[in-house]
Amino acid sequence: MKINENCVGCGQCASFCKKGAIEVKGKARVTDACVDCGICMLYCPVKAIEVPA
Amino acid sequence: MKAIIIGAGLGGLLSAARLSKAGYEVEVYERLPITGGRFTNLNYKGFQLSSGAFHILPHGPSGPLAQFLNEIGANVEIVRSETTTVRVPLKKGIPDYGKGFKDISFSDFSTLLSHKDRLKIAFLIVSTRKNRPSGFTLQTWLRTQVKDEWLVKFADAFCGWALSLRSDEVPVEEIFEIIENMYRFGGPGVPIGGCKGVIDALESVIATYGGKIHTGTEVLKIFMEGGKAAGVLIGEEVHKADLIVSNLGHVATACLCEEALSGEKNSGYLQKLETLKPSAGIKICLAADEPLVGHTGVLLTPYAKRVNGIDEVTQVDPGLAPPGKHLTMSHQYVAPENVKNLEAEIELGLQDLKEIFPGKKYEVLLIQSYHDSWPVNRAASGTDPGNETPIPGLYVVGDGAKGRGGIEVEGVALGVTATMKKILG
Repeated sequence: MKINENCVGCGQCASFCKKGAIEVKGKARVTDACVDCGICMLYCPVKAIEVPA
Repeated sequence: MKAIIIGAGLGGLLSAARLSKAGYEVEVYERLPITGGRFTNLNYKGFQLSSGAFHILPHGPSGPLAQFLNEIGANVEIVRSETTTVRVPLKKGIPDYGKGFKDISFSDFSTLLSHKDRLKIAFLIVSTRKNRPSGFTLQTWLRTQVKDEWLVKFADAFCGWALSLRSDEVPVEEIFEIIENMYRFGGPGVPIGGCKGVIDALESVIATYGGKIHTGTEVLKIFMEGGKAAGVLIGEEVHKADLIVSNLGHVATACLCEEALSGEKNSGYLQKLETLKPSAGIKICLAADEPLVGHTGVLLTPYAKRVNGIDEVTQVDPGLAPPGKHLTMSHQYVAPENVKNLEAEIELGLQDLKEIFPGKKYEVLLIQSYHDSWPVNRAASGTDPGNETPIPGLYVVGDGAKGRGGIEVEGVALGVTATMKKILG
């Protein structure tokens, strides 16, 4: 998944990620554990997560 | 009569519960798959973290939110915190906690002042209840009264914790309204089950009275008929209503109204919205085997570099963490100019926690920051533009339309109460 500039770092995505693949410090960052399942995208309150092109 | 509520945050659900109880046909539309907005629980590694708020009701079981919940029959147990403490260096004049500290009671703040200033504070506590100061920021007013930087530090910690603002950003009128509310309603409390305990109870009330909540459903537009709010657009479907309550804040609500607000007569409203500034903050969630704060209330930390205060909700509800663990959360205000340096602000917060809890073992669970479109408050406390809009039948509730003197969710409850009074009489 790709995180865009809307991200505020609220960490909501990290709590719904089933793979523990999101680290948050000011902004969310996707780690190598990400499988592009797209669940995080649904839970982002600021539309900051996109499916990679 | 049909009411549409846009957004299932606390303000939206309070409104939905009240209106459905009053006999309205209520539909709540929420874009996310979950309800509660910034006032619900996030399950993280078995801990009930929060999506925003701190599992705290600033005025506990007798405050505006608790009263509202009680009136609509929402079943929530709220436990009053036993104390609020303030961590100060062992000796006055030492700038930080590095050489040791002691905790004093919140109400004993004036014991750190000179004898003369203590008398002045005692006098002000009485005199300002009748003659409230106005026209200054809190900080400017304090400096005209007492020349002691401790008071400014104390005010900054309180404003940072309670409002995510610095004392030079808070109108003195708002603080005195808050102080009055502290006399009126008492200090903070923790809802059993955390924020979600409140949200679940509200959903239960809404369901009882036949209201419906649709998650994963985004409202794209608010439309008008005869100059009045008449419904919303979802996908390509039009949903009509007699009344619309938006939980999105004034700015995002105005965006949904598009050209309906473009006329000359609305320019004053739109100009006012441009001046609104959301408040920013950082929450650091800690897990520990041993208590870090050690009591059910808030620990204010005015001598930390960034952290304003900390609470340990497992002191009230151990169910918010796995068995034997504590959940401790710190809050720090972020100045507008530092929103672009969040990582550096977080580092300062983490350093503070090491100084505040020397020798204690804890794990940093999650660091959460809030600003701009997902802020601490959509309208900084003291600047809320009320609950009405220029469009009849369209109201705004939530942290972008708090009532005066209402800290965080208490402000949300006061705003909803005022809105319901306008609608229901």
